[in-house]
Amino acid sequence: MKPGYQLIKEQLFFRKELIERAYWMIQLRWIVTGVALVAGWVGHFLDLKHPILSLTLLFLFVALNNAAFSLIWRRLMAHERPENRKFGVFAHVQISFDLLVLFCVIYLTGGISSPLLIFVFFHIILAGILLAPVSCFIYAGCILLATAVLIVLQETALLPPQPVLFQSLLFPSAQSLPNVLALYGTFAAAILMATFLITTLKASLRAKGKSLLTISRELDTSNTKLTSLYEMVREMELCTEFQDLIDSATRNAVRIMGVKGCSIKLLDDQKKQLKFASVHGLSDDYMAKGAIDIDQSPVNRKILQGSFFTIGKIQKQDYFQYPEDVRKEGIASMMCLPLRVEKVILGVFCVYSDLDHYFGPEDVKFFSLMADLTAIAIESLKRELNKTWFLRKAAHQLRSPMGAVQSMLELILKGYQGPLDEPQRETLIRCRKRLTMLGDVINDLLKIGLERIASDDTAYHAVDPEQILTALEDLYSPRATDKGVDMTFIKEGTVPWVLADERMIDDLFSNLVGNAIKYTPSGGRVTVTLAGETGHRIRFEVADTGIGIPESEQPRLFSEFFRAENAKAFKEEGTGLGLVIVKEITDRLKGTLSVESTEGEGTRFTCLLPGTTKIPQTADTGPDKG
Amino acid sequence: MGADILIIDDDKDLVNTIRIILESRGYGVRAAHNGEEGHAAILEKIPDLIILDVMMSTDTDGFDLAFKLKNSPHHRDIPILMLSSFPQQMAEKGPESFQHILGEGWPVTEFHEKPIDPDDLLEAVEDILREEGRI
Repeated sequence: MKPGYQLIKEQLFFRKELIERAYWMIQLRWIVTGVALVAGWVGHFLDLKHPILSLTLLFLFVALNNAAFSLIWRRLMAHERPENRKFGVFAHVQISFDLLVLFCVIYLTGGISSPLLIFVFFHIILAGILLAPVSCFIYAGCILLATAVLIVLQETALLPPQPVLFQSLLFPSAQSLPNVLALYGTFAAAILMATFLITTLKASLRAKGKSLLTISRELDTSNTKLTSLYEMVREMELCTEFQDLIDSATRNAVRIMGVKGCSIKLLDDQKKQLKFASVHGLSDDYMAKGAIDIDQSPVNRKILQGSFFTIGKIQKQDYFQYPEDVRKEGIASMMCLPLRVEKVILGVFCVYSDLDHYFGPEDVKFFSLMADLTAIAIESLKRELNKTWFLRKAAHQLRSPMGAVQSMLELILKGYQGPLDEPQRETLIRCRKRLTMLGDVINDLLKIGLERIASDDTAYHAVDPEQILTALEDLYSPRATDKGVDMTFIKEGTVPWVLADERMIDDLFSNLVGNAIKYTPSGGRVTVTLAGETGHRIRFEVADTGIGIPESEQPRLFSEFFRAENAKAFKEEGTGLGLVIVKEITDRLKGTLSVESTEGEGTRFTCLLPGTTKIPQTADTGPDKG
Repeated sequence: MGADILIIDDDKDLVNTIRIILESRGYGVRAAHNGEEGHAAILEKIPDLIILDVMMSTDTDGFDLAFKLKNSPHHRDIPILMLSSFPQQMAEKGPESFQHILGEGWPVTEFHEKPIDPDDLLEAVEDILREEGRI
């Protein structure tokens, strides 16, 4: 499809009009000639005294010429791209010819007193629309000159006067010369006024058209940009690998912004360094600089704090650690923005141009939109990948010790550590069998887990958190008593039900309660609170007087899940998966999880979950059936 | 004393098990618990065979080390026996599926699944060492 502004451009400069009207004039001429001939002869039979023979010859001459015009038009149109200039000349030829013929007809039908004189206005209008203003004025001058010549001819009787067809409105016949001159003055004023009006009207139309053209071009550009952006987002959504996604982002940014290059730098887990994750349009050397220390880069620190950053002319300013690298790449100006989802900064998104001052305020706006969409795509893929990462990790955690035990069993069974008697051997074979079964169970669980990730939350139903917590109370209270920990369960207000799966709520509660007991020494206290909150939410809170979490470790508590590896979380002493599971469940239920802790004093985990209004009518259809 | 074998695995029980198996045949055994320690041990003395775990301090620590060795002219000829506890569905497809994932540059001589069967392990170790002309 043609962009809108091109259509307007064609219309605005009357190119299309000129080409279309060329043929229209030929068609019109056929009709006018035919009508004139018929009218002439009808007048003749009605005893009007006009020279019918001369007029007939003239109209036949016009018809012949029109046939020639028709041929010329066909030849002009035969070109693949009709030349505008040629059509302009053609319009001039036609209008001049028509004027000449019209004045001949005027002369033959009574000179200046001919009623046909009024038709000259049509030529002014036509010339005003189709041709340049100056041409229109020239035609007006020609008309006035021709009219003056007619007056002179009539007054001096150089050419035989023709009988007046009927009374003209402009120049009534049998007037004295001063009268004729006065009438001519009026006529001239009317002609010039008409010319002036039509040319100025057209000029103002053109000016308006031009601004429309500018707006339309801008609209087309932003439409193209937005369409490309939409395509970029679609492409990113389809990516299943992290690297593919960010490569797609930089590649598309270069294409859509029409720039030389683009880079994405991502923040590391410690939020101390920026690392090049993807670069498009720049050489590998540029990336070879490696990580950028944020502490030593005020520019990047500023961007990470949330402000955009543009440099119009790089050579003039000395912002870079390695300015020669920037020059070598041919970068003249650049624009950088933070990649962030809500308040979480993921990294820095930059575009580079080889032109000075390439980026304007509009570009900043558009690029922020692109950066936000890219950040969302990165974050959602990360979450998607982390879900399967978690399962693989958990499966590995389960399999590793099992594999070690099985290997050690084989060692004993195969007699590498001395001979076995038959009962010992039989017991060990039974151990091996049970372990193999356990391995199968783990594999099945992994399978179920992977399926759950693939499916959505359609299996969720209304779950009563109070009922689940009551069951846990019976399970954990004896355990706390055994350890010498004072345990209290509190229920506050009306607790709404939650749209979930019983096992999820059970896992969520038991992990937090179990952790609290585990990390609270004897003599300590654990308080579990389940309450209804404003906004139809539930609050589940577990507070202990345990060992606490060092402040420096707190930010990492839930982000473990998002990290590629954290050996600490998977120490031999504990799986370290408890809080990861809690966070995973809270996220899936669209809740929030927060922690307050002082080392050596205690910890308080607060989990807020949205309640559901879909509560079953009777308790029997509730969780027990689910 | 037999061939010098380096075990690189983060599971100490497993290292111990393999050590007992190998020492029963008179092999000299050294152990490291992650890719970095393993690399240091290799630099110290080039072993005749490396028994290497995949997932250690990172998910691909073992592969990373294997690739590093293949890219080093001094170390690319050291045979590597890789141990894996990859998810069952991947392990079921066998080493070919990994080769497919990793492309042509498969850096490992042989692939051995966990849990370890002592007889199978010894057989694999002997086969590799014989082929390499180290015993």
